[in-house]
Amino acid sequence: MDARLDFLQELGNIGASHATTALSHMLSGKRLKLIVPKARVLSFSEAAQFINSSEDIVTCIYMQVLEELKGHIVFILPIESSINLASLLLAENLTGLSELAESALLEVGNIMLGSYLTALSFLMKVRINPTVPVIAVDMVGAIWQSILANANVVDSVTVIDTHFSTTYTQLKGHIIFLPSDNSFEKAFSKLYQGLVLEDVE
Amino acid sequence: MNEVFVNMGQIGVMSKNGILTTVGLGSCVGVVLYDAYSKVGAMAHVFLAESRKDSNGALTPGKYADTAIPALIECAVKAGADRNRLTAKIAGGAHLFSNFGSNSLNVGSKNIKAVIEQLEKANIPIISQDTAGNRGRKMRLFVETGIVEVTTIGQESKEI
Repeated sequence: MDARLDFLQELGNIGASHATTALSHMLSGKRLKLIVPKARVLSFSEAAQFINSSEDIVTCIYMQVLEELKGHIVFILPIESSINLASLLLAENLTGLSELAESALLEVGNIMLGSYLTALSFLMKVRINPTVPVIAVDMVGAIWQSILANANVVDSVTVIDTHFSTTYTQLKGHIIFLPSDNSFEKAFSKLYQGLVLEDVE
Repeated sequence: MNEVFVNMGQIGVMSKNGILTTVGLGSCVGVVLYDAYSKVGAMAHVFLAESRKDSNGALTPGKYADTAIPALIECAVKAGADRNRLTAKIAGGAHLFSNFGSNSLNVGSKNIKAVIEQLEKANIPIISQDTAGNRGRKMRLFVETGIVEVTTIGQESKEI
């Protein structure tokens, strides 16, 4: 495998581990199963079809990532999972998503994506500045398409996708990180040089 | 009935009967051109307003408003439509993340504006539309009748 993708996959693994650990804390220590992330470079048409069953309803929390490492990061969970998660957080038996439930999910997403990015920032020794998170509950295809358009993906795109689930309550979801290529190369070479220098010393 | 899916950045064309469908319209705009006499319909799923080349130098006309509209007209005419009888229906261009600042993520409104400009330039009347707002859409063209059905979550489908 391409060393760069291998490296990205490992970053995804560490980032998502931190994110799901944060979620596990919020669920009073319940364990979550993390599926090994996949890092791939997709062409535009592959990116367009990256999300299956595009009419499924999902909750999505989205942040743009600025400063030294740039990109876009999203937390996506099926509508049933988001209702289950909000029910746990609010200690209520919800059947749909109220404004309060959405706000709770937005905050959980904020914490999870924040943990993911903090881990990357620490590991790669780069500054990362995420924007205020936003939330949408809609058809997954429409959400994914809007993110690709906002990220200005007109050609190929690198995608690091990590799925997780827990049997404690019926809950599954995934975190997708789209690093912008240029900024990633810079951060990568900075890290790489740092390692070489340390080796020499 | 034969249903053909038009993916993001693509163009589809059908005549006589069948359904042209595009799903996952967020900030993208779905454009339908139709000739009621020859029953030819063409559909595009426009991603961004202004065209640019891919890194390999190729250009995918269906992705961008300024190239998709001319390509859509050409496809419809090739399939037997009369250029002067074409009418347009458009849907999409939503702003899904409504708690984002108004000046970011306004890709949807830029797309709507660009599509309308291109249709005006081509002298094709827009006979109905369901655009903007903050909901994703699914769009289906019934080629035999020219009826376009738009579906958003939590609402009944509507005809435009």
